[in-house]
Amino acid sequence: MSHSDISAGPDTSPGQAHSRRGAIALAGLLAALLVIPLVIDNAFVSHIFITICLFAALSTAWNIVGGFAGQMSLGHAMFYGIGAYVGMILFQIGISPWLGMFAGAAVAALVGMVISYPCFRLKGPFFTLASIAFLEVMRVLALQFTSVTGGATGMMIDLRLGWTWMVFRERWPSLLIVFGMLLITLAVAWAIRRSRLGFHLVATRERESAAKAAGVRTVRVRLIAVAISSALCAMLGTFHAMYLTFIEPAAMFSLVFSIQIAMFALIGGIGTVTGPLLGAVLLVPITEWARASLGSSALGLHGFVYGMVLIMFVLFMPNGIMSVIKRFITPKPPTDEPTTTETGPISAPAKAAEAPSPDRAGIGSDILRVEGLNKNFGGLAVTRDVNFTLREGEILGMIGPNGAGKTTVFNMISGFLAQDSGTVSLRGPDGQFHQPNNPADFAALGLGRTFQIVQPFAAMSVEENIMVGAFHRHHDEKNAREAARQTAWKMGLGPLLQAEARGLTIGGLKRLEVARVMAMEPRVLLLDEVMAGINQTDVRRAIDLMLSIRDGGVSIIAIEHVMQAVMSLSDRVIVLASGEVIAQGRPQDVVRDPQVIEAYLGKEFADAHA
Amino acid sequence: MLTLKNIDAGYGPTTILQDVSLDVKAGEIVTIVGANGAGKTTTLRTIVGQILPRRGKITFQGEDITRLHAHDVVDRGIILVPEGRQLFPDMTVRENLQMGTYRKSARSDQESRLEEVLTLFPRVRERLDQNAASLSGGEQQMVAIARGMMAKPTLLMFDEPSLGLAPIIVSQVFDVVRQIAATGTTVLIVEQNVFTTLKVADRGYVLENGSIVLADTAPALLKNDHIRRAYLGI
Amino acid sequence: MTTFLQIITNGLMLGGLFAIVAIGLTLIFGIVKVVNFAHGEFLMVGMFLTWMITTRMGLHPFASVILVVPAMFVLGALTQRLLIQPLMGAEDDHVQIFATVGLSTALMNLALLTYGADIANTPTFGLRAPIELGPVRILTGQLYIFLAAIALVIALQLFLKNSQTGRAIRAVAQHRVAAELMGVNVPRIYILSFGLGAACVGLAAVLIAPLYPTSSNIGTYFVLTAFVVVVLGGLGSIPGAFFGAMVIGIVDSAAGYYIGSGLREAVVFGLFLVILILRPSGLFGKRMTLSHLS
Repeated sequence: MSHSDISAGPDTSPGQAHSRRGAIALAGLLAALLVIPLVIDNAFVSHIFITICLFAALSTAWNIVGGFAGQMSLGHAMFYGIGAYVGMILFQIGISPWLGMFAGAAVAALVGMVISYPCFRLKGPFFTLASIAFLEVMRVLALQFTSVTGGATGMMIDLRLGWTWMVFRERWPSLLIVFGMLLITLAVAWAIRRSRLGFHLVATRERESAAKAAGVRTVRVRLIAVAISSALCAMLGTFHAMYLTFIEPAAMFSLVFSIQIAMFALIGGIGTVTGPLLGAVLLVPITEWARASLGSSALGLHGFVYGMVLIMFVLFMPNGIMSVIKRFITPKPPTDEPTTTETGPISAPAKAAEAPSPDRAGIGSDILRVEGLNKNFGGLAVTRDVNFTLREGEILGMIGPNGAGKTTVFNMISGFLAQDSGTVSLRGPDGQFHQPNNPADFAALGLGRTFQIVQPFAAMSVEENIMVGAFHRHHDEKNAREAARQTAWKMGLGPLLQAEARGLTIGGLKRLEVARVMAMEPRVLLLDEVMAGINQTDVRRAIDLMLSIRDGGVSIIAIEHVMQAVMSLSDRVIVLASGEVIAQGRPQDVVRDPQVIEAYLGKEFADAHA
Repeated sequence: MLTLKNIDAGYGPTTILQDVSLDVKAGEIVTIVGANGAGKTTTLRTIVGQILPRRGKITFQGEDITRLHAHDVVDRGIILVPEGRQLFPDMTVRENLQMGTYRKSARSDQESRLEEVLTLFPRVRERLDQNAASLSGGEQQMVAIARGMMAKPTLLMFDEPSLGLAPIIVSQVFDVVRQIAATGTTVLIVEQNVFTTLKVADRGYVLENGSIVLADTAPALLKNDHIRRAYLGI
Repeated sequence: MTTFLQIITNGLMLGGLFAIVAIGLTLIFGIVKVVNFAHGEFLMVGMFLTWMITTRMGLHPFASVILVVPAMFVLGALTQRLLIQPLMGAEDDHVQIFATVGLSTALMNLALLTYGADIANTPTFGLRAPIELGPVRILTGQLYIFLAAIALVIALQLFLKNSQTGRAIRAVAQHRVAAELMGVNVPRIYILSFGLGAACVGLAAVLIAPLYPTSSNIGTYFVLTAFVVVVLGGLGSIPGAFFGAMVIGIVDSAAGYYIGSGLREAVVFGLFLVILILRPSGLFGKRMTLSHLS
């Protein structure tokens, strides 16, 4: 497969056309946000547009954590409030909010990281609950520390007008500032989404274990996201404090405000760059108008509308407006080329590989040593004193009945599960043996693994899935994409590059699992039943592909049930039963071992072989 | 008794079964064999109504049950002993067995059925008042089968009953399957353990990549070249 | 010493209050596995209902239980059927979170729209009268709440343990798929459970209304503490919620006295965060933390 073939994907040109159309629409929308209020020049209209820009920017910033990273924070008003208070306090002692907003950003980023770090192990609603609790604590503290915050009476700025103090008599300078901040926030969100960080965040959100296996430091990337998101919110908070000229804890650390921020993102499209903007543009004017025109006669009306809109969106358009827009602008595939779920053939290497044997010339010294591995789950021994080594360039087959502990061994030798006792040593590129203890460190030393139960990043395309693996070696998006495409074609996934992973057949997902790990260019490869689900005609090709990977210097441990593959791949075979290694050696010898026959293969197997 | 006709099924947008047709006659032991991920469990879950097929038709005792929900399918006497036991971990063994009698036609004569089942599984009797989670894998499998029998099944389906069990226990499990079939209950059994299963079964289907590639009597399948190649590596 | 005893007693009474609010929440979470962010608003709705029935009909507030509890059951059942059930299959957490957050926002503001920002005072019928128990004094109504909480815990345990339906509910909570295979109509059990959880909070509302002024945001006041209680007690555990409530009640009461009433909330939520963070395995149970890997 040559390069030009790969890069000339079937739908490159229409894809570019939409993105151009999309960019024009976006530019038009943004221009309108600025031009309309400037032309109308009415205080109320300007106020609405300022509010739109503010919410759009806050929501875009929230989306970096809530959307890209999938951490549903309902405490984001906390960062906005921190920015407001820091800016205000510094303002009072004569420091310009232009500087104050950076101080606020720094404080918010720090607070964000400190409180998020322990919360990341909380899933779904519990993270949300914790974020609400932190917001409440913050509000209570702001109320209590009266000497700093003014307590419940709040803080009012002394009137110092002009650009230095960010306080103006007219609306238009504020509009310019908040519009500029919106542009910056959008640019940051856009850059993150396209970058390695963005891929890592989305991968972590979609499937944390698979992201870890691809070498993503899941905690670190989310902390970075939190820091960026909270810093942006804080800067907007500083601006808004100056615009409001008065702040109080109830308004700055408000749960309702937090919910609104998140809600615009939901309505526009969580996890998309422009969704939050759309949500704010559509909803803010309606509710601001309702609030102004109905006034106190309809107290609670706008909140009621917000709640109902949320419910309606969750029920009928859970992926937001962007998903509908996408459906409209994506043209239907040309009728002569129906959408395919068919994979292409696995590309077998041209030259035949040397037959496996424990004394092959290609095999080097030990690269992975496993010694005395024990693991209990609730008193049940899952593995007992497991010892084996893997040599460089070798294929080690691992067989045994279901439940024998094979996958548990894999989890321990890739850092996903801590052993109760024993050691796993992996020789790094530096020639030294290391004993890593987490998936990212294993990956950094060049270990890649697949999962028996496939773990695709469901919402990402096939290409993006593989890119997550490719980012392990490539830091630049273009190179990662290129590498991902090459791997995809090799694995017969070329025709499906743009398909969403969740639409693949089980066979396709199995290949994707392998492709993702191959794109990491690992030195040691752990394959957990990758042959299952590959049709019989492709098993031969897959075997040849693995042999060629082996000849590229990669050392492989393969858990397999497809005996045909085990026998023709493995230099050596190791047999696990009830958590113990009951045999290891040449494949032909192992299958004749009476213990193996009894535990796994069954008497009939031996009869058939005899 | 049970017929599947041209079934396509899967999870979400993922298609797993393609054009699967099979039938089970009253009093038979039928098996579906295949590798991990071939779609065996999906087949059973489709029969029992946990997955709605996209295409095709399922009939049971002459009635179309394609669109029925799981609890309605169970009400008609199709009981699945699921893969990995799936006991209620924080309930006692007795309560687990009582759950077996939840469906309406199984609520009468519970006591005598309990006695029958416990005679078949003396180990289970010893553990009646223990929490299910505290049992060993083999004991859990016995409880799962016993729970299925408590439901007075017309058709009893097993999903990988040998999963994770020591060989000696596996043969006990298959003995029990034989005994259940001998009492006139129809059995559909899904296994990865190809040979042991085919020894017990009357007929078998081979599932690969979500499609039936072979269907024959069990002895004929045991001699089949494709089976020997694919599952033995000869 | 008397002060200390009084603080503990106040704490226990407060604990009874938190318990009776939290029981419904933990019941719903334990079975349906949904964190109901609108739980506080359910309480608020129940309190307004109690207020209306009591003032319109001039009845003793406790008499309104025969209307409020069934009404709340229906509200809960409808919430499950119309809002949660369509979202049960959703892959992303955010959908269910936003659903109940949306419901919470809508209900709260609907109350604001209907009743305005004024406070509604349910007639007390002597429930605010203090009684002396040895050296300590408590309000009559508080004692009723405490006793009702204990009775509710016992009643629910008996129901779940000994009835066919109760067993089916536990089966669904422990293993939904297996319960389905036993012929349990799982969606119906979910509707029933959500209804039950809401009915419990309805009972709480009837008991609380005479003691606390009812307003549109009263739910927020109680529900955050109820979340703390549920997490502390081990999610889904009814006796756990009861004892968690006692702990939080005493902490709240002691913090209010020794640290200052303004910081009470900060202490309670601080404790909450510490528990959330240090005992996550206690939160999700061992089974769930392991299931992701194998």
